[in-house]
Amino acid sequence: MSRAFKIGVFNEEEKFISSIKSLQEKEFIIYDVFTPYPIHEVFHLLRRKSRLPTAAYFFGLFAIITVLAFLYYTSVLDWPIDYGGKPFNSFPSFIVVTIVLTIFTVTIASLAAFSARSKLYPGKENTIFDHRSTDDKFIIVVNTDSLNNSQLGQLVSLMQEEGAVEVLDKEFETINA
Amino acid sequence: MKEQLTVSTPFRIITLALILVGIFTFIAGLFSDPQRTWANYLIVNYYFLSLAMGGAFFFVLQSISQSGWSSAFKRVPEAMMAYIPFAAVFFLILYFGLHDLYHWSHSEAVAGDHVLEHKSAFLNIPFFMIRMIICFALWILFARILRRLSLHEDVADNDNVMVLFNKSELFSKIFIFIFAITFSFTTFDWIMSIDAHWYSTIFALKNMVAAFLHGVSVLTFIVFILYRKGYFPFLNKYHLHDFSRYVFILSIVWGYFWFAQFMIIWYGNIPEETIYYYVRWQEGWKVLFFLEIGLNWAIPFLVLLPVKSGRNMTVITVVILFLIIGQYIDLFVQVIPGTTGLLRFGWIEAGLILGYTGLFALVVVTALSKARLIPSGHPYLEESLNHRF
Repeated sequence: MSRAFKIGVFNEEEKFISSIKSLQEKEFIIYDVFTPYPIHEVFHLLRRKSRLPTAAYFFGLFAIITVLAFLYYTSVLDWPIDYGGKPFNSFPSFIVVTIVLTIFTVTIASLAAFSARSKLYPGKENTIFDHRSTDDKFIIVVNTDSLNNSQLGQLVSLMQEEGAVEVLDKEFETINA
Repeated sequence: MKEQLTVSTPFRIITLALILVGIFTFIAGLFSDPQRTWANYLIVNYYFLSLAMGGAFFFVLQSISQSGWSSAFKRVPEAMMAYIPFAAVFFLILYFGLHDLYHWSHSEAVAGDHVLEHKSAFLNIPFFMIRMIICFALWILFARILRRLSLHEDVADNDNVMVLFNKSELFSKIFIFIFAITFSFTTFDWIMSIDAHWYSTIFALKNMVAAFLHGVSVLTFIVFILYRKGYFPFLNKYHLHDFSRYVFILSIVWGYFWFAQFMIIWYGNIPEETIYYYVRWQEGWKVLFFLEIGLNWAIPFLVLLPVKSGRNMTVITVVILFLIIGQYIDLFVQVIPGTTGLLRFGWIEAGLILGYTGLFALVVVTALSKARLIPSGHPYLEESLNHRF
């Protein structure tokens, strides 16, 4: 079964944002939006919450404990070497290694967590609603499967009133997003 | 919107009383324990100068980066810069205490001491005073230029505003180079040369970042106090976020430099370098040593890490109060072991802190009251008033 969408194309960020606001006022459900660059306000408007910072915090905690344990194991338990009379468990010299490896671990783990959560993998073919969203246009996608004709008309006129340069109809067989 | 700050009479009386306490403590201290008094005089002098210089650094950085969000608050760093001439007078008075503070200022101590003889081309009293005068002259000059350009913006017409705006950016760019060089010299002179045999090349950078961190903290604190009094009604959570990110990131940079200096010396383990930390790891001092990194780095870092606490005025205020104490401990640990070596906090310390707090508050508030609190002519003012992201 194919799914039908209305796609509003905008030239400017301000018009795009005010259009999201008025669509939400009329209780249309926005399927997704695409912008050329990240906009904080859209994130708040669509009430999207990200748990990635929390995940990153715990990755960091995990990394610090693991790296310190690893350094303790290598330089105290497994192969203690006397460096200029310093104690085997010399915390100040561990810090730099810990910082660097923590940054590395958090980066890789966050990337993995983000990819897994948003089902991204190399070579994936995404459904692109409108190719211009990868260039300089702002795009609002609304699923129209459950809308009747009068609502559809209202939706189109609303987006045009807010300054959409184009409102397109598109149908997709499967959605990979 | 209240736009003009007035100095109330009770405030004036309280600050003048505090200044009197400071003057009385200083004179009485000179009679009872001159060395301890001079050492504490240096600490508090440097403390408040570093706040003023931190404010100046914040100011020039904002105009170089053409930041919009902070432009409504720029009278506050300007007012902090107004303290620099006062600090200049106090540092010139330090001339009479040089022998109590600096080992290298005694010619009989230098004679026969190979290291100090080698350094005496740089570390001698006339050159020390000349450097001090040059640095202060440059700072006062640039503080005056930047302040005047900023005040002219308020009364200039539309075309002239941009000329003034670009001019103050140009002077900020010049000042930031001068600041880096002169502030390095002065921290080397005033603080590092107390331990004349010891040196650290990262010392100036560490103290510069400390000045920036604590200058921004106190600046934020002043903005909060004014907000509580009903000024800056437009202050929103995005402003708070930006202020707290400044404190947060600078405390990380401070911790980085602090650790870089410590780590190299600890790892290199050369006796003439480690003696600096050996003294500071004796009983009692060790507590302050760890308290310092806890207050200046660990607490700001951990507390301000979540976004929510960085947008909460109470949380930021508490962190800033810790940082205000932290900067004092930082300087105490740097100055006292090389001079009196006594870990003591008594009436001399407390009296001088009170006196200088009174003076700094009076100078800043008087400078704030001399101009409109919100600069009406700044091109980015509208952006700052409606700041959000």
